[in-house]
Amino acid sequence: MVSDSIPNASIASSNLRDFAKKKRANRSAKLKQCKLDARREQWLSHVKHKGEYKGDANGGVIASIGASVHLENQRSQPICKLEINTRNDEGIYVDGSSTHHYSDSDSVQSNSPTSHTSSVSGSNDSAANFTRSSRSSSSSTNGSCSGNMSEEDEGDAGDDDCLDDWEAVADALAATDDKHKDSPSSKNHDHSTESGSQVVASDQMFSGINIPRIHTASANSESGRTANRRALINCCAWRPDDACRPQTLPNLAKQYSFPLKSEHHLDRGSVWVRKNVGTIPTACPICVEDLDYTDSSFCPCACGFRLCLFCHKRILEEDARCPGCRKKYEVEPIDGEATLDGGSLTYRLARSCSMVARS
Amino acid sequence: MQASRARLFKEYKEVQREKAADPDIQLVCDDSNIFKWTALVKGPSETPYEGGVFQLAFTVPEHYPLQPPQVRFLTKIFHPNVHFKTGEICLDILKNAWSPAWTLQSVCRAIIALMGHPEPDSPLNCDSGNLLRSGDIRGYQSMARMYTRLAAMPKKQ
Repeated sequence: MVSDSIPNASIASSNLRDFAKKKRANRSAKLKQCKLDARREQWLSHVKHKGEYKGDANGGVIASIGASVHLENQRSQPICKLEINTRNDEGIYVDGSSTHHYSDSDSVQSNSPTSHTSSVSGSNDSAANFTRSSRSSSSSTNGSCSGNMSEEDEGDAGDDDCLDDWEAVADALAATDDKHKDSPSSKNHDHSTESGSQVVASDQMFSGINIPRIHTASANSESGRTANRRALINCCAWRPDDACRPQTLPNLAKQYSFPLKSEHHLDRGSVWVRKNVGTIPTACPICVEDLDYTDSSFCPCACGFRLCLFCHKRILEEDARCPGCRKKYEVEPIDGEATLDGGSLTYRLARSCSMVARS
Repeated sequence: MQASRARLFKEYKEVQREKAADPDIQLVCDDSNIFKWTALVKGPSETPYEGGVFQLAFTVPEHYPLQPPQVRFLTKIFHPNVHFKTGEICLDILKNAWSPAWTLQSVCRAIIALMGHPEPDSPLNCDSGNLLRSGDIRGYQSMARMYTRLAAMPKKQ
């Protein structure tokens, strides 16, 4: 979807480099790392050119900014330009003034291949978190995707993004309370620069999107600080469900890239929304069984009284009145019958019902 | 059967949790049968039943809450809508106006409300109904207060 707005050569070369190194790793690790690198670069450029950066991309929006991106391309210095298309499901930030300056992130790039296999999951999360946060903080625009990035990640990037996004939200919410947990999971001990920079990103998350500080940190991202920050990363990664994550963090982090997980995320999102609405009970008031998804989307009466389908059917068999307002279920009973008896009978019932009502 | 049991168990927990919420109603479940409940309700103030404590017996049907519980006064009460001998209650929500959304607790509240607002036009206790319908409020109140003293108040030693 972003093919028209491909950044520039340096990205491509770096990616090629990455690929060459990653031949040994498995394919998914490769893909992830690519995405990861791209994100980190994006992040770095965010850091260095905070004011100018505009950073969100959504599939539909990208076409509109293609022109601006090309302009930048012409202007570009020995700069690594990278814009990541993050297919985020949250919102669409349309860019108004898109002057994209990107800094040189080659140093990071060169170091990055070292940590390909192991630190993918955790760092991925943190990087994603950062991009989200910066995006939201600067209320900024689309980064268009570098071509190869988008194509490679097509399969799982979207899912990942959804998931990362979710984590980002959770982390942002939990940014205030610093629960630092010891990290059984940290496989990325030895990847200094990469993990360092990523940690900076997560660090950033915690400090509430403080761009200048990130800038300095990334400039001298040293391995010495890695351990300290890793705690933060892990903290970030664990935040969503603290209780169960610490022991199994590596596995969980890997699972986040699976499509299933993204669905889970979506589900949770919708559940969240529904809970926020607050009008839908969690249990049927009649039989006190939990309402499942179908039940909770089932509203048989205009008065808004909700109940489970099972109880609804039983009430239809008796006096067919809404428990909430005691009015006869008018149309809905017929609908309920429709699923059982089929169309023609249903309509006959509907007619007779309406006649009764009129007489 | 299972559904009603689950529902009653939920109500039981609710009652236990909100015991203090409604001091006028004390709803207890039979120890061995969750389909048998008894309630103690206080007579509402500014009625002839003030100061009395009335015992109600609930018999919950198998198809509860789709069918209403059967409730009757165990304590004698002089009220136009309560049968003087059997304690049967004439209350629409216990008959045709029942809604499955109601609970035993809300039935108790409805009965308290009925004690404060008798309906002499559908009497189970004809004497009481006739007194009210003939406008003899004082006579009705005297009789009701007397029976409250006799039946619903602790005996003075």
